[in-house]
Amino acid sequence: MNTCIEVKDLTKSFNGRTVVDGITFHVEKGEVFGLLGHNGAGKSTAIDLLLGLKKPDCGTGTIFGLNPVTNRKAVFERVGVQLQSSNYQNNIRVDELCKEMSALYKEPEDYHTLLQFFSLEKLEKSQVNKLSGGERQRLSVALALINKPEIVFLDELTTGLDTAARREVWGHIRELKSKGTTIFLTTHYMEEAESLCDRIFLIKDGKKVTEGTVKSVIESSPYGNLEEAYLWYMGEEVTQ
Amino acid sequence: MKRFLRLYMIEQKLALRSGDMLIFGVAMPVGVMILISMIAGQKQAGEGFTYLESSFAALIAVGICASAFMNIPLTIADYRDKRILKHFFATPCSPLWILGSDMLCAGGTALLSAVFMAFVSVVFLGYRMQGNVLAFMGSWLLTLVSMFSIGLLMASLCRTIKSVNAVTTLVYFPMLFLSGATIPYELFPSGLQKVANVLPLTQGIKLMKAVSMGMNLEGVWKIIVLLLGITLICIIISVKTFRWE
Repeated sequence: MNTCIEVKDLTKSFNGRTVVDGITFHVEKGEVFGLLGHNGAGKSTAIDLLLGLKKPDCGTGTIFGLNPVTNRKAVFERVGVQLQSSNYQNNIRVDELCKEMSALYKEPEDYHTLLQFFSLEKLEKSQVNKLSGGERQRLSVALALINKPEIVFLDELTTGLDTAARREVWGHIRELKSKGTTIFLTTHYMEEAESLCDRIFLIKDGKKVTEGTVKSVIESSPYGNLEEAYLWYMGEEVTQ
Repeated sequence: MKRFLRLYMIEQKLALRSGDMLIFGVAMPVGVMILISMIAGQKQAGEGFTYLESSFAALIAVGICASAFMNIPLTIADYRDKRILKHFFATPCSPLWILGSDMLCAGGTALLSAVFMAFVSVVFLGYRMQGNVLAFMGSWLLTLVSMFSIGLLMASLCRTIKSVNAVTTLVYFPMLFLSGATIPYELFPSGLQKVANVLPLTQGIKLMKAVSMGMNLEGVWKIIVLLLGITLICIIISVKTFRWE
């Protein structure tokens, strides 16, 4: 196997509160890796640290064996990122946003292809602000793919979406995976993790709780599905 | 460079689409110019110059004022709040690209304002510049750069949209009305003139007036040094205190 993301002892505190506490994991090429935890468990901070958007107190994160802080250009030509609850400029249209993002990369994908892939081609001339939640979320994933990335980071991909919209996004993620893209996602929906992830990593208060394949995580708990297993791992009471 | 230009073109399109800069930065000063020329255009405002001549250089500063003290800080604060600046860190490009393109947009709006003002003044109001046109462009550019550095400083020092809004209002309106940009400086009582002299934009307007009217330029060196000093200090503090998120 081919390791493409490697994280060792990543730690970060804000004002004396440790938000990410010594986490270590790796991600193999072509897999869907899920970072799971409650709201405020440190998932987004972990992504920020790994991407070099924040400076860790100690520990290292590398992508393709490179430090993203010192090799920003090389890393981000090959990595796509969707940040949590992305916002865009006022009055910007879908095609303008696509063009703007394309301008940042050396060899961008034709954005028409991406819009078609995410069933957004009819909205090309619409204002981004007027899109529905699901459409916006699909657009933000499309934008993360504009540089034909080998790895894509998706932070809280489906938060705030209704069931139908969520399942539609999942379908696109699966298709993406079948094309060989490595996917790193964070979520607090267990159904989502169960349906998409090859391996998962659970964190609570910035610390690792457990990791492994979805199956092995469920089997090491006394429960039969991921949601109940997750609550058990997190030390919450599992009510039927 | 080509990619940067593409980014700039889109940002410029957005800036023009929103429209408020066209009203505050372009239409408003030209409207005031037409009014002043109707009311008092050929009257002497001071020794050897008319209100029309005096107002031309002053009102051209309104475009700079609106770009520097509204457009720049509000756009940067908005993009920071929306994490657009942060997102640029997760691309091969520097966030300086988007900051640079927005500065260029603000400059573009100020330039549009100046060109429109010159066109209307020369073609319809019979304005002719006594001073050297190239030197005037230089003084305009220096005023623009120094005021933009103040706008950048405002964006750097204010952390939230709310504080940027408050500071923008506190800076923009006094600069607009008390610097002599809209209401002719010559009409101010001497006490108010002293207050006005403290405002950086007043100094820029004085410089542009002196150059445009072909006046004795001995005293302007002090103003040039002052504006360069403001630029240098503001840029240093902005860069040191700037926050991307």
